[in-house]
This record gives sequence, C-alpha cells and structure tokens, in this order.
Amino acid sequence: MMNAPFIPSRRTLLKSISSGFGYLAYASLAAEESSKAGRKNLSVRSPHFPARAKQVIFLCMKGGPSHVDTFDYKPELQKRNGEPWRGGPARLLSSAQEFKQHGESGLHISSLFPHLAKNHADDLCVINSMHTDLPNHPQAYAQLHTGSFQFVRPSLGAWSLYGLGSSNQNLPGFVTLNPPSDMGGANNYGSAFLPAIYQGAKIGGGQLPALFSALSGKTEEPGPPMKNIDNPHVSRKTQRAQIDLIAGLDQRKLEHDHYHPEIEGSIQSFELAYRMQDEIPDVLDIQSEPESIQKLYGVGRSGDGDRFAKQCLLARRLVESGVRFVEVTAPTSWDHHSLLNQNLAKSSEVTDQPIAALLTDLKNRGMLKDTLVVWSGEFGRTPYAQGLGDGRDHNNKGYSMWMAGGGVKGGYAHGSTDDFGYKAIDKPVHIHDLHATILHLLGLDHERLTYNYAGREFRLTDVYGNVVTDIVA
Amino acid sequence: MKLRRTIFFVFPVLLITDLSLAVESTDTAFFESKIRPVLVENCYKCHSVESGKSKGGLLLDTQAGTLQGGDNGPAVVPGKPDESLLVAAISHAQPDLEMPPKKARLPDGVIADFKRWIESGAADPRTESTGSLSHAPTDLESGRKFWAFQKPQPPPVPKSDKNAPWPKSDTDQFILASLEKKDLTPSPDAAPAVLLRRLHFDLTGLPPSQEEQSAFLKRVDESGIDAALAERTDQLLASKSFGERWGRHWLDVARFAESSGKESNFTFPEAWRYRDYVIDAFNRDIPFDQFIAEQLAGDLLPAKDDAERARLLIATGYLAIGPISLNAMSKEQSLADVADEQINASTQAFMATTVACARCHDHKFDPVSMEDYYAMVGIFRSSKTYYGTAVGPDNQLGGDLIHLPDSLDLPVFYKAIKPEKVAELKQEKIDLIEKENEARKKAEQAVKEGKDPSEFFSLQMAIAGLWRKGAIDGQLSLVGEEGNPNTMCMGVTEGEEIKNSPVYERGELATPLESEVPRGFPEVVQLSDPPEIPDDESGRLQYAEWLTHPDHPLTARVLANRVWKHLFRTGIVRTTDNFGFNGERPSHPDLLDHLALQLVTEHKWSVKGLIRELVLSRSYRQSSDFRESAFLKDPENRLLWRMSKRRLDAEEIRDAILFVSGDINLTRPVASIIGRTGDRNAALLPFAKNIPADLDGSVHRSVYLPVVRDRLPDVLELFDFAESSLVTGDRETTNVPMQALYFMNSDFVEERSTSFAQRVKSDAGSEREAQFKAAFQRCFNRRPDSEEIVLATEFFSNEPGPDSLKRYCQALLSTATFRNLD
Repeated sequence: MMNAPFIPSRRTLLKSISSGFGYLAYASLAAEESSKAGRKNLSVRSPHFPARAKQVIFLCMKGGPSHVDTFDYKPELQKRNGEPWRGGPARLLSSAQEFKQHGESGLHISSLFPHLAKNHADDLCVINSMHTDLPNHPQAYAQLHTGSFQFVRPSLGAWSLYGLGSSNQNLPGFVTLNPPSDMGGANNYGSAFLPAIYQGAKIGGGQLPALFSALSGKTEEPGPPMKNIDNPHVSRKTQRAQIDLIAGLDQRKLEHDHYHPEIEGSIQSFELAYRMQDEIPDVLDIQSEPESIQKLYGVGRSGDGDRFAKQCLLARRLVESGVRFVEVTAPTSWDHHSLLNQNLAKSSEVTDQPIAALLTDLKNRGMLKDTLVVWSGEFGRTPYAQGLGDGRDHNNKGYSMWMAGGGVKGGYAHGSTDDFGYKAIDKPVHIHDLHATILHLLGLDHERLTYNYAGREFRLTDVYGNVVTDIVA
Repeated sequence: MKLRRTIFFVFPVLLITDLSLAVESTDTAFFESKIRPVLVENCYKCHSVESGKSKGGLLLDTQAGTLQGGDNGPAVVPGKPDESLLVAAISHAQPDLEMPPKKARLPDGVIADFKRWIESGAADPRTESTGSLSHAPTDLESGRKFWAFQKPQPPPVPKSDKNAPWPKSDTDQFILASLEKKDLTPSPDAAPAVLLRRLHFDLTGLPPSQEEQSAFLKRVDESGIDAALAERTDQLLASKSFGERWGRHWLDVARFAESSGKESNFTFPEAWRYRDYVIDAFNRDIPFDQFIAEQLAGDLLPAKDDAERARLLIATGYLAIGPISLNAMSKEQSLADVADEQINASTQAFMATTVACARCHDHKFDPVSMEDYYAMVGIFRSSKTYYGTAVGPDNQLGGDLIHLPDSLDLPVFYKAIKPEKVAELKQEKIDLIEKENEARKKAEQAVKEGKDPSEFFSLQMAIAGLWRKGAIDGQLSLVGEEGNPNTMCMGVTEGEEIKNSPVYERGELATPLESEVPRGFPEVVQLSDPPEIPDDESGRLQYAEWLTHPDHPLTARVLANRVWKHLFRTGIVRTTDNFGFNGERPSHPDLLDHLALQLVTEHKWSVKGLIRELVLSRSYRQSSDFRESAFLKDPENRLLWRMSKRRLDAEEIRDAILFVSGDINLTRPVASIIGRTGDRNAALLPFAKNIPADLDGSVHRSVYLPVVRDRLPDVLELFDFAESSLVTGDRETTNVPMQALYFMNSDFVEERSTSFAQRVKSDAGSEREAQFKAAFQRCFNRRPDSEEIVLATEFFSNEPGPDSLKRYCQALLSTATFRNLD
C-alpha cells in the first residue's frame, strides 16, 4: 500500500507543463510567496542557521510539579522544616525525598525518579531558575504553550512547524497526544492567526478536567484516536477506483483551466490522504514494536503507567516518521495541594520509567542528538505548606524544568533559586527565554521568525526573550 | 517545444526552473522567479512598507523605491550592475555595506541573477504605488495625510474610447481604465450557466437547482442576459438564503462564537439570538449605519414595541460575544480586558484600524495615541457587558444576562422550577450569608485571641460559599418569581457609573497616570460637527454616530471593500481588516472612494443596493478563463482582467453537498445545539447526550452549526472557517489531505452519498448509464461529455458491486471541480 501508484498527480503535473504553463505556475507561485499569504504548505524549509535539534518531544507535566521535591535540592529548606515562612502563618515544608548526586556530572535528582537518575543524569540539562508570570493554572499553561496568557496566540509547536516545515507530508507536522480539554483546550496546540496547516493534530481523546474526571470516573473524551482516518464501509480497492475517478474528472477541469493550483493541489491531497490512511494507523500501532522495547517503556503496566508508556513510545515513533513536534501530556496531575508525598510518588511512578526508556531508546537509535526532549510543567510549587496541610501551593517565581538531547549540555544544572526554592535568583530564565532557546536549538532566530497579522509582525516571544546560550552544548 | 519534450522525464522541479530560464528574456518572468523571492526573503524585512521599516531610507518593495534608492543613492541602475548599490551590497564588495546583514553572503548564483537582471534592464512589475510615505505616519499631522484618514472625494469617472461598448456601470469604467493603462483588456462574459452558478453561490451560498438553471437559460434566450441577470439577482437578494450567506460574512467580522474561549471555555447558550438577529438584519437590509448603531447601542435606541426592544437588545450581543477570560486574577483586570476586546473588535470591524495596539504605548504604525485608546476605554467601562456564564470551578467571573420582555414568546430552554423551589433557593442564600458572617466573626475573634482562625473560616470555605451563592444567583436569574423561565439575551447596557478612564502606564492597572481622558474617539479622524458625549451617557451611541458621520474617512470605505472582497474574491484593499500603514494600499483608490460615496449617498447604506450594483456590472460578469498574455502581466489578477476563481468556503461546501444529495432542510432550526444544551464547560460537550461527535449531525444550513471556540464542527475546522477569537474579513484557503479524508471517510459525506444515490435511482431508474448521467447532471448541472462518460464507464466496470452508484456519487462530491467556482 505504501507504494500505491502516484500516476494521476504526476500526469497532472506533466500535462500542465506540457501545455506550456509550468513556468507560469512557478512565476505565479513565486508571486504568491511574496505576498504575506505565502507558506501554505508544510514542505521543509531551511532554518535561519544550522540547527542543533531537528524535532521536539515536549513532555508536558500538567499541574506544576514540585521542584524542591524533584530537581532543586535545597539543604537549607531541609534543615528548617516547620519554621514560619517570612514571619507569616505559613510553615516551611522540607522535602521527604532523598536527594543524591548522579552520574559523572553529579546532577541532583531526588529519589522520585530512579530510572531517570540511574540512566540519564548525564543527559539532562536542568534549569533550576525558571519563572513565569502568574501562579494560576490556565494562564500559566497558556503562557507555557503560546507565550501569552492574555491573547490567543500560536503555540510553540505551530511556530516550529511554520519555521521548519515537516519532512513527512503523509503525517501532520505537529501532533499532540491526549491534550487536556480544559486549561485553554485547543488554544494550546492551535495556530491562531498562522494558517491552519500549522495547528497541532490531536491524537487520542482529550484529557478531562480533574474535577469532572473525579466525579465521573472517566479520564478521556470518547472517540477514535483520529477522525476520518478509516471508512469501515469501503474497501481500499474501491477507494483507489474512486480516487482515480476524482483525479480523472479534475484533470479534465485542469486541462480546461490550464493553471489552477487549487485543483492541482486537491488531486495531490487525495493521493496523500489515501496513503495517510495506512501510514497513520501504522505509526499508531505500537504493538508492532518488539516486545523488548515495549517492556523497556513499561507497556502493560497498570493504569496510567501503561498509558504514559504507550504515549512515550508513540512519540518516538512519530518523530522517527518525520513529525516535527510532538507533545505528550502525562496522564497524571502534578497539582499536589495536599497529600504531597503520596501524590508525588504516584505521578513519578507513572512517568519515570517511560521517560527514561524514551531517552534510552532515542539514544540507541542515534536520534537523541537531533531530538530535543523537553520536560516541564506550567510552574513549580511553594517551599512552604499550603495552609497547615500536607501539600504545596502554586509557585511561579521559581521552578525547575529539564531538556535533553538536541544540542543541550548534558549533566548540567543552570541557574538557581534562593535557599528555599521560592524565587529564581541566579540566571533567571523566563518562559520567553525558554521559547527563544528552544527555537534557537531548532535553528530559528526568535526575533526573525515572524508572521504579519493585522498589520503587525508577531513572534512567539513578543518583544521579549533571550537565548540561554549557557545551556547550548 | 522540443525543449519541453526532452525534459519530460527529468525531475519536475528542475524542469520548471529550466523553463523559467527559457523565458527569461520575456518580460518580468525572470524577475518573478529569480529576483522577487530573494528580495522578499532577504530584504523586505527592513526595507518595505509592509514591514514598516525603511532602513537607510531605502524601500525595496516597489520599483520606484528601488530605483530611487536610499541615503546612499540608487539601489539599482538599470543596465549597469556595477553602479547598482544593491549588487555591491549583496556581493559584500564594501565592508560597511554587507547585505543582508549578519548573514552569510547570498549564493553566487543568486548574485549572478541580480547582475543579469539589472544588465537586461531591471524589468520590475512592482509599479503600483504603495503610497508616497516611506515611514509610518504616527503623528496626527502626517496621519491625516495618509490616504485612509482622508475623506473620500468624488473621483471623476474615467471614460474609455477603445472599449466603448464594454462598460455597463461606473465601476466598469474604473476597472477598464486601469486595465487599459497596462495594455490589458477585460475578459469576455462568462457563459450564462457559469454566471448563474457564480451568482447563486455569491449571493446565497447555495448552487442553483437544475430547474432554476433551465428557467434562467430560457429567460436569457427570451429577454437577453441583462434582463435575466437583473431579475435573478433581485430574486436571490429577496430570498432568505441571502441573509444566511451575508450574515455569516458579518459573523466572521463580528468574531461570533457561542463560548467564551480562552482558558476556561464556557458556552454562551444565548449567543444564537445575536446570530439570528444578524441574518435577519441582512435579509431586511437594515441600512448599515443603523446596523452599526443597533450593535453598539441598541439599548439606547427608541423601540416602538416589545418585539423591537428585544431585537435591539439582542443586537448589542455584538459587544458581549467576544472571547473573555473567566479565570482572570481579578475582576478589575477582567473588566479592562473586556473593554479592550470591545475596542479592538469594533475598531477593526468598522474602521479596519487597530486602535487596541495603543493600550500600552502609542501606536507604532498608525496615528493612534494612548489618549485615543483610553478615551474609548471610558466609553466601554461606563457600560455593562452581559455575557452570562454561571460562577463555578474554572469560572470566577459569572456574568448576568439581559432579561427580555417575557410577553414575546421567544424560544427559551431553561426549565421552569417550582415556586417553592424559588423560595427555597432564596432562603438558602440568606442562610449561607448568615452562616458565613457568623464564621467570619468567630474567625476575627480567634485572630484577636491569637488562635488559628482557619478552623472557623478559611479561604476554601469562602470560595466554596462564593461558588454556591453564584450557582444560586445563576439559577434565580433565569426564572421569574413564579419559577417560570425568563427570556434572556447577551448584550450591553449603560453601566452604573459613567466615568472617564485614566491613561494606564504600559497598560497596567497598577500604574494609572493622574489625568483622566474625556470619553471620545481617535483624534486623527476630523469631522465637521463631531457628536458630543453627554456627561450622563457612556458614549456608545455617539460612537455609532461618529462612525457613520458623512465625513468619516473609513467606515464606508471599509464596508464597500468588504462587500467587494466577497464578490471579486480579493479586496480593493487586500488587507480587509487593516487600512493602516501596515495594511496594503488600494489597487483602485478612485474606485474605492467612488463605491464608498455611492454606498452612502446613492444606496443610503443599503448593502443589498451595493451588491446589486456590483453583480450587475460587466466586471463581475467576466469569464474566469485563463489568458496567457494577461496572466504574464498581472499574475495575481489585481487589475481584474478576469473573474478570479475561488474555492467554496466551509459552509458552502457542506450546504452544496446537502443540496445535491437532496437532504437539505432550508428552514431555520430553533436556536442552536449550544442554546439547547445550556451553560457548561466546553470540555464537557462530548458527554452531552444530544451532541454528535462531529458537532454536526444536522441537515440544516451550515450557518446554524454550533460555533464553540476551539471546538468547531469537523467540516468548519477542516475547510478554513474563521478564527472566531479574531476579526476575520478574509479567510484562508488551505489544501490539505485531512480535507480529502473528510470526503473519503466522514459520516457526513457517507450519509449524503447514500441519499444522493437513492435519489438518482428514483429519478433515473435502474439502467446504469442513465444513473451515472443523472448523478452527473445533479452534481454539476450539465451533461457529462464523452471523456467523462468513459471515466464513469471505467469506474463501474472496475466496481460492479451493489454500492457502486453510491461510491460514484461520493466521488463526484469529492471532486475539486465541485467545490471550486469559476
């Protein structure tokens, strides 16, 4: 099926050229490119400068993981458990996790992530000095994804795809796996004013808002993993005949019109669509992976652990097939306002093994050097307990995230928060800086990657953003 | 010919390049293929009107700018590459003049192209004036000189001698004059059947039926094309499908949607009333100046009866349906954001000007100051917006709705509750407040005694109380004293307090500057007797009067341009929502002024009047056929040497499929799925019982599909529906495989193909050839030609199964030919 004949569209092209209009088509397309409406396809485009990463896997840790329990080791906090925070009613809450140094680099990773610590400490580039504008989920989540919490703006994945195109035209260039259906929903993988071809394709049902999920016992929206990818009522043979008929009729029209990019494009789209029907289910079919690989990721574990293992494995398969940007939303919330230690244990258990496996797998395939893996939530958590309880509140002033592969330094910790992990003080990195840096790693200059909408050149980083050159390998 | 034949077997892209070289001597093709793309890619960013930058005083986006050059002299001297600074700059011949800056030198081949281009005379088709300004007119004085801020003056109507019989209207004279200037001629009239299809889609968004086509062709034979067209135009303008098509155009501009969008996406169950209001307004041809006043200030206009009062209140829904952050950190911030959205949406919609850019700083490209912006903020902050969502988790900002007169018997979907329940809810609220007050007192006491107060009253308790009270308020606001459901709508009324706004430094509420700005409008617009805002009114009514004042330079032009865009595929100003410095300049400035003045004086703001004038012009009647010589001179068809082809938009595609399959229900459904489902987080819609997975499942016209922000019906999502959080005067057209998958695999197309085939069978009987001919006729309103018959015969011989007619019908609906208009 993969080698299905491509005759109609080639015939189209040749016929249109043989009738003498090929060069006209080109001239006109050049003119179209010159208008701001250009870039309406996903073909590969050169970056602004040589890229260090060719693709991105964004592991989104929705809810805001506690940095002082994971990657930001704070001895001072450990010593002063229970003391009042800045003279107020709040009490410092030390971490119950054991922090050890790992790998040759001696990177601090807590006992929550044994797989990651054991195998990949020297691959991780941890930024301990992240900060974002607001300590409120929806806004911070939107800012993490689009740079803006105030306006509907294109997402990081859409900008990446706009900048670079995609090498596999049979698949969407930007895929998001089981994104949350709240927290801004489709805005987080939308293209806003960029042409719609840059928006993320959602694969798998959206994750439901926590409250509703708790009430209903359902975690995902119903429905197939992807819409319209299959028609149970018709055979491939019949579809092939249909597509030949469609192409034949459109070909007649094209011959009459001489030059008609819409018609020509449609003939090609049907050919591509025909092949996508097989390619997408193939990519989605993780059962075709060897058992050893499935086991590595933890496919077959219980519940959310199994689900996340499959997501991570699928992410690898997607980037391997040429998808530019894949986001994976972990099926666990890190919003641990209470029962911190039980909940942290649960969320880490779900994510640790699959993430470590993903890095191992990418490395073994020689893909990690070209693939930027990003692990982040929308913010971190307070070093003090919430109320007098056993959880932590939102903290936007300082938190941790990490990247690996794709041209970042491994075994490296960048910047730091104060003694308690409350506020980023050394080399603070704002979300805009992170975005500028991710684009930089992809070979894109965040100040030059612009799109003119309503009379203004827009960019992902608005008027902000500095590339964090320290972390570039 | 020989050349072409020999390279048939070469990789196509190479082939194209070679061919473009083969014609380099002809005209501007070399420029288009080799020079323009390089300029666009590397130079426009700093040297073009569109970027708003002219570094070193140099603009490279016009021939004039390129020849004139910048501070260092001419960039290009035709015939003399050695004297052309552009060549020196891109060759890095001088160390202080290396272009593009901070980048590797362009490839040698490209530099050679530039030399060759200049040597052969530097042919450059970019002769259209992009305005004489080389820098953005941000001060009042230069702003008032900018074309868009100057009042339109009646231009002399040109008269052609060469093509005297062609023009039928003043519009045609303008079009012809600019064609003749470029030695171009208009195209011949399209065939009557092609014209009829064009007219039907453009006016109603539906194809003509076979009967309508026969009747029309007969009429053309009897009384000629002019009379037949005029008659058909009047019929279509009078049909209710007209409002469903043109109302939808306005809904794009009005960023209409049935949910709040943004982070906490709550549905707006009453938004559909505004949708129906818009459709009805277009069908009644409410003069556009009045239409503006109704939407901005319908609550302040006189109404003769309850029905009219309701209609006018619903009209103000325009200001309430914008995207809103329901999870904002503070109420104050949220109100500021609502006003900002209202300013942004209305100035872009009516004036194609981005006033909201001046929230944080004076506008960088247009003559709009922060004072202008905050003068308008005062207007909207003195008004109250009713967006009506219930308080709850994820929504800290519940909003009210406007109570419409109950006497009207409008559709209402809230359930009645028993009168006892009303009393019960009221009592519950009183109890809650009492309990909270007690708890608060105890907590205060605890603080005094140095004890932990949270035992008595915590933040969580306060929030829980707020949600519960909010929920009670929400329920009570929807019913009367007797528990009977109220009739409600979204909209705007005057606020409790009428007050001016201070200027906020950097747009931040924490940093107001001392002086207030009186409520008013951007100063760059000069009117002979501008409306004054009384102390006790918000100023919305005056905003409408100001916009539609005969001296206003923008409103009529912007509207005429929007109408033009929908009939001629591209605006006279291509950037329909931006007439500012960064927008494009008009292709036919005189024609635009002429139409704007006609609209006001001749048509008295009647949109139907303007449409009628334009579709009956000769320009509109042109064939869309390709003409090589004209194409080479004007590949983008900016001068209208033919009618441009267009793909049908999402609604037309779906409606045409419904129409051909015979399934279409042309009546208006009551409300919308969202209206019938009620208030909820959009994330929960997939669980609502009556909502199909593709958010479609109906056979009504597409304008009645639900429009939930970020959660559109598949067909709208796939075929480039307007982004409903933004003002959209011009949709994108993309061509992607996901669209093909919709035709191949969606339930909607599957169901329509079934009905289509059934209808064909009942029309044409059981004979195969009669069937496929009938199907073809039904789909394309013409008989298949011999080659099309061969294709069909081939298909059926390969696919003899019982389903084959249905699959044939599906293929016809899937052709690009079906969804493209000539």
